[in-house]
Amino acid sequence: MEITPGTAYGFFTDTSVCIGCKACEVACKSWNLLEGNPPAFGDGYDNTGRLDAQNWRAVQFHDNVPDNPAVTGQGKAWLMMSDVCKHCQHASCMEVCPTNAIIRTEFDSVFIQPDVCNGCRNCISACPYGVIEQDEHSRVAQKCTLCYDRLQGGMEPACAKACPTQSIQFGPLDELRERASRRLDTLHAQGVPQAQLYGHDDSVYGGLNAFFLLMDEPEKYRLPDAANAVLPSRHNKRGYLTTLATAALAVLGGLIALRRRRARDDDS
Amino acid sequence: MVSLAATFGRGAMTNHWRDIRHADLILINGANPAEAHPVGFQWMMRAKLDRGAKMIHADPRFTRTSAVADKYLRIRTGTDVAYFGGLINHVLRNNLYHDEYVRMATNAAFVVAEGYSFDEGMFNGFDPQRKTYNAAEWAYETGPDGFVVLDIDHPRSVLNLMRAHYNRYTPEMVERITGIPRTDFEEVAKLVGETGKPDKVMTIVYAVGLTHHTTGVQLIRSGALLQLLLGNMGRPGGGMNAERGHANIQGNTDHAISWDILPGYLRIPAPGQQNIDDYLARSASKKLRPNSLNFFGENYRKFLVSLLKTWYGESARADNDFAFHHLPKPAADASWLSIFDAALRGRMEGLMLSGMTATSIGPDSNQVLQALSNLKWLCVMDSYATTSSEFWRAPGIEPSNVQTEVLLLPATHWIEKDGSFTNSGRWVQWKEQVLPPEGEARHDHWMLAEAFMRVRTLYERDGGTYPSPVLQLTMPYRDPRRPELDEIAQEINGRDLGTGQRLATFAALKDDGTTTSGDWIYCGHYPESGNLAKRRDGIQDPARNDPTGMGFYPNWAWSWPLNRRVLYNRASADPAGKPWDPTRPGIAWDGAKWTGDVPDYPATANPADQASPLPFIMTSEGMGRLFSNGVADGPFPEHYEPVESPVDNPLHPHQSATPVAHIYLPDRFGSRREFPYVATSYRLTEHEHYVTQHVDQLVALQPEAFVEVPAELAREKGIATGDAVRVSSKRGKLEVRAVVTSRLGPLTIDGKKVYQIGIPIHWGFVGINTGQHWLANALTPFVGDASSRTPEFKAFLVNIEKL
Amino acid sequence: MTLDDAQHFVRDPDWTWYILGYFFFAGLTGGSYLLASMLRLFGKPEDEPAARIGYYVSFVALLPCPVLLTLDLGQPLRFWHMLVNTTPGNLGLNFKYWSPMSVGAWALTIFGAFATWSFVEAWTLDRERRFFPRLGKLVSFAGAPLGLFVAGYTGVLLSVSNQPVWSDTWTLGGLFLASGLSGSAALMGWLVRFRREASPSVGALALGERWFQILELALIVAFVVTLFPTGALERAFGPPWFALWAAALIGLFSGLLSGSTRASISPDGTVAVRAVHAASTLPTTLVLAGIIALRAAIIFSAQ
Ligand SMILES: Nc1nc2c(c(=O)[nH]1)N[C@H]1C(S)=C(S)[C@@H](COP(=O)(O)OP(=O)(O)OC[C@H]3O[C@@H](n4cnc5c(=O)[nH]c(N)nc54)[C@H](O)[C@@H]3O)O[C@H]1N2
Ligand SMILES: Nc1nc2c(c(=O)[nH]1)N[C@H]1C(S)=C(S)[C@@H](COP(=O)(O)OP(=O)(O)OC[C@H]3O[C@@H](n4cnc5c(=O)[nH]c(N)nc54)[C@H](O)[C@@H]3O)O[C@H]1N2
Ligand code: SF4
Ligand code: SF4
Ligand code: SF4
Ligand code: SF4
Ligand code: SF4
Ligand SMILES: [Mo]
Repeated sequence: MEITPGTAYGFFTDTSVCIGCKACEVACKSWNLLEGNPPAFGDGYDNTGRLDAQNWRAVQFHDNVPDNPAVTGQGKAWLMMSDVCKHCQHASCMEVCPTNAIIRTEFDSVFIQPDVCNGCRNCISACPYGVIEQDEHSRVAQKCTLCYDRLQGGMEPACAKACPTQSIQFGPLDELRERASRRLDTLHAQGVPQAQLYGHDDSVYGGLNAFFLLMDEPEKYRLPDAANAVLPSRHNKRGYLTTLATAALAVLGGLIALRRRRARDDDS
Repeated sequence: MVSLAATFGRGAMTNHWRDIRHADLILINGANPAEAHPVGFQWMMRAKLDRGAKMIHADPRFTRTSAVADKYLRIRTGTDVAYFGGLINHVLRNNLYHDEYVRMATNAAFVVAEGYSFDEGMFNGFDPQRKTYNAAEWAYETGPDGFVVLDIDHPRSVLNLMRAHYNRYTPEMVERITGIPRTDFEEVAKLVGETGKPDKVMTIVYAVGLTHHTTGVQLIRSGALLQLLLGNMGRPGGGMNAERGHANIQGNTDHAISWDILPGYLRIPAPGQQNIDDYLARSASKKLRPNSLNFFGENYRKFLVSLLKTWYGESARADNDFAFHHLPKPAADASWLSIFDAALRGRMEGLMLSGMTATSIGPDSNQVLQALSNLKWLCVMDSYATTSSEFWRAPGIEPSNVQTEVLLLPATHWIEKDGSFTNSGRWVQWKEQVLPPEGEARHDHWMLAEAFMRVRTLYERDGGTYPSPVLQLTMPYRDPRRPELDEIAQEINGRDLGTGQRLATFAALKDDGTTTSGDWIYCGHYPESGNLAKRRDGIQDPARNDPTGMGFYPNWAWSWPLNRRVLYNRASADPAGKPWDPTRPGIAWDGAKWTGDVPDYPATANPADQASPLPFIMTSEGMGRLFSNGVADGPFPEHYEPVESPVDNPLHPHQSATPVAHIYLPDRFGSRREFPYVATSYRLTEHEHYVTQHVDQLVALQPEAFVEVPAELAREKGIATGDAVRVSSKRGKLEVRAVVTSRLGPLTIDGKKVYQIGIPIHWGFVGINTGQHWLANALTPFVGDASSRTPEFKAFLVNIEKL
Repeated sequence: MTLDDAQHFVRDPDWTWYILGYFFFAGLTGGSYLLASMLRLFGKPEDEPAARIGYYVSFVALLPCPVLLTLDLGQPLRFWHMLVNTTPGNLGLNFKYWSPMSVGAWALTIFGAFATWSFVEAWTLDRERRFFPRLGKLVSFAGAPLGLFVAGYTGVLLSVSNQPVWSDTWTLGGLFLASGLSGSAALMGWLVRFRREASPSVGALALGERWFQILELALIVAFVVTLFPTGALERAFGPPWFALWAAALIGLFSGLLSGSTRASISPDGTVAVRAVHAASTLPTTLVLAGIIALRAAIIFSAQ
């Protein structure tokens, strides 16, 4: 695949074919020289637990397997999803970053410049997907870079390259969106009505460059639904107005206090 | 591999990974490819995604493979003979088999000799003293011409005997034995039955979930019979596909890692065989039909002589029977179980382990630890400390009580050397050295060469009882102490001794001592033109590199035999040579020659010709064997219970388990009362056996030993995920965490509720996360399959308690 | 927003003690600057000593602010990246009006200049040196809104996120401002006792304090009301945070009560003032502790 600056790239992650092999996790760590966290038991399958500074990819497992001894799998009984930074069109992290360390690259990905970031962690409080963490050693905010360095070298991201089932598909966004809607149609035709796309259109954060085909409701995968996918800046106006109103009342009250005190003085 | 050889003539995955994408139906049994073969699994997903193939996974556990399958069947471990048997019965009863194919390519019409019987779980020919069958009693009826009599309607035709045999495997019986609800079984049977049509193909994929049973060989053979009946063998998208384990386990098998063969599947000579003629009489098959090619049997002598010439060079001459007398003729078997059994009984002095950690991998590890303590010395060649090199400080062992001298020779890891891997699909792929050897590590073949040269020096100096096999062995390398793998590859390929040129095909091998070949099936992989295993003409240019469009990629590496990509491909075309399904051709007769894949067949043999050979060229029948005497436990597969089982065999309660399993330590089996739950052991995708306990990224993904417990049983016992539990068998115990899940659930077996418990195998007492010192194999029974002596890792009884 | 719980899948920024300290001092530095300026600009000439106390307080409370903020950074030496963009090819100043942290960084910097100026001025005036008096008023006038901003924006900063509690309400800016002002008033009212000339301002400060506390109480009520439909109440008020809320309320009510007594003292009754002031040490401490507790409850419960 030719990778050209100026084109929007992203991931279409088809969770219906994910086999939870975690090759993506390991490929990401190997390429990005991430140490990983000390070993700790989670629930037996998901021992990574979440995205953080050492895990820019993390595979979620959600066990919905019924008691029935014969069931259909089809990616809906034991949900697996390789989670990653969504490279949001309207990126909450980028919105709040005071240093402008977070930029949109020539590949339309959201990238934290490690030499600009000063570790204020404002982005962490903003990212609605819990993607970013401050790294213990570098002390700056870290997350998936969409393999910025690989893209610049004309190589696809390490995780997509390693994924054996093409659950993670990398490519130009318009192409991925088309593929995704075809896949969705197929699944619906195969009688899997719960299959749904998440982030493929602008209903969440103006569209996610890393969007998903899910086999259950978004909340199940720790993704806010469209109603809850809101930008931090929505609070600026309301927050400042309250502050302003309080300030006005405070000043008014102060003036009254000065007046009343004066009045009392005059009385005496 | 025994069972495939017994059925088709060769012991290997019949198709190859990439070929699976041509299937319409994928039956996965006794394998968890999404976890154990995730990269190969992409081709099953491609079949599903690109052509809408259905994937059916039968497994005791709902695994990551089940998660993406179209249908999952929870099956009781060790009962696939019944499941396949039910499918075979469904196919036979409803005449869904591919009739034309069955007549053309199987021994269905062969008449079995009188005397064959099957009664109350026992075949004829049983020797109660030695507890073995005399397989020679499972013979065919021969005519005056000395060839087998054919008559498909004869009451003793293979097909009719088979109908009678499988009659008993009704859907009700399948449900009683396996626990698969009848309706679900019938749904699957319907899908399977449809693949008997020429334009439909099914593949069966399996791995050690079938092999690790005392009935392992028969479990696999059951699937093979089904595939023969449905006409799915030899065809792209079909086959009986064994997913091999380690990266080069197929190469190991080809080069005689098993004790009972020489390279290229030549039988190991037996005591009493004085010369090559004696040997051939016992080993090489004779043709049973006039136009059976019987390729192996007919050429056995050429292959053996060329091997002897390779090993003994000038010393192997026609006048000394090519030094046949140098070959060992072992009186006892040297299977894994037998070796450690001998050590346990104090009959072994020393042991060298290379690339294998005995303590972790074998059954009944407490006995194995004892066996190692009984040795005088143990030499471990490995890149890492292993549970064997460290066995003397295993938990529970007092180092001062262990007298064994333990040597750890640092070996280069495969990543530190070049050489070839032969994958499941039999592709011999050369790889380059990736990293330079670390520290003082040496290649295994250098260590062995060095040891050999020193032994030879000792023989030269001091003589010995029988020095000539040692003194006369060739070491034709530039530096005999440091052979290059490239030199060894050339030696394996073989030469014409007249011209000195390397051979291009095993067809050129001779029995007169003028050719060499270290392994006849690899002859042709390294001709004069160079090392074909290095070829890499692949998907860079599919139009050029895959002319048939079938994904054969003939110039990608080299596959044995003769670069053929799908074995038995003659069966992919009808009697006239037209592919059964023209959209998925294997080979096709174009009027003058066969085109497509490299034909498994003489390239110019005209199918219209009456004398043209029968399709399965490796068997003496020329046919795929529905009935076979190549296995030790019965000519037709029969369901037997595992040696430790929660129920009596519903088919024949008095002969519940197989009568011919190899039982070494009879008092180490537990009772149903004490150990009420079934357990099975398996892999997790995050680890490669035990060696990845040294890889921090993988240890982080899967840090601790655990067992999987069915949710319902866990509720009964008050166990929650993360709790510590004790799982014990008659042989040992684990104290590890529990993972509670309904992915494992209860089964109703013969009216009784049966729980299955899952035991991942990957932990030991060596590695990064050293708190984890429990060996899964502390639980498993020391008992082997009758034919292959593979241990029963996959079905045994345990108890579980909350700690 | 519906009555469904708001979904939060966000991680904690790990803003803890440094940030708590900063929020506390930001409330005081901004609040006391405003009070000082009001006394100077709208009070009587007798209020000038109290105003200077305010500027002293403001300056002293200002000092720890940049220190705490910088120490909280992962890369403290890059504190200036808040103001200057170091992205290669994009050098220039950073200012994002929609990012409270960015605006706050500038506000604090500029306010810092004002607070420092006013402090130096107060200091020199107290030593009876002349110091651009005209400019002094101008600075006070311009600095006051900045002080208000610094005291209040920290609440907005929290809200402009996707954290539970913080982003579930719009009250935090006002709440932090009101509590910053009440704390400043209490502190200044208490400090006045150490400077006799300043006693005429006691009543005004006390009245102001009471008013700010009423505002604060109203905003706490609004906070509860806004959290209710989002399901975040439990998180904000559940154990162990209710202890902090209790401390905040104790501060609030002790302020309200003692403030009332003080407010009724005549400015001439110097002795009585002293007595009351002595008695008000405890309430003042409680008020300040309450301010810390309020911020702590809000900062920590969300994370
Ligand atoms: N990640 C990883 N991959 C590996 C390896 C590894 O260690 N780790 N090892 C390699 C090696 S050497 C090998 S041999 C292969 C093995 O590959 P697999 O055979 O796929 O591996 P297992 O997990 O041992 O067993 C497969 C499945 O068989 C099921 N099973 C057990 N008993 C039965 C039964 O009676 N019937 C049926 N239908 N299913 C049963 C188990 O529940 C399990 O899910 O994997 C290779 N690949
Ligand atoms: N209960 C239970 N037991 C089982 C199984 C099961 O399913 N259940 N599965 C069985 C199966 S199928 C298998 S294959 C075995 C696997 O058992 P093993 O093959 O023993 O397991 P590995 O950890 O793969 O061990 C390979 C060793 O080879 C070393 N090595 C790698 N490269 C080289 C090299 O080039 N030279 C040398 N000298 N050493 C090298 C590695 O360091 C490692 O220690 O376990 C068996 N045991
Ligand atoms: S997912 Fe989070 S980190 Fe990634 S771009 Fe969106 S807001 Fe930023
Ligand atoms: S931590 Fe770094 S990237 Fe995140 S908001 Fe602060 S400066 Fe920006
Ligand atoms: S794109 Fe690169 S950085 Fe991002 S998850 Fe994949 S491998 Fe990791
Ligand atoms: S590599 Fe692909 S299949 Fe494996 S866990 Fe990641 S996304 Fe899933
Ligand atoms: S472990 Fe090796 S053989 Fe298995 S999938 Fe990975 S690369 Fe391939
Ligand atoms: Mo294996």
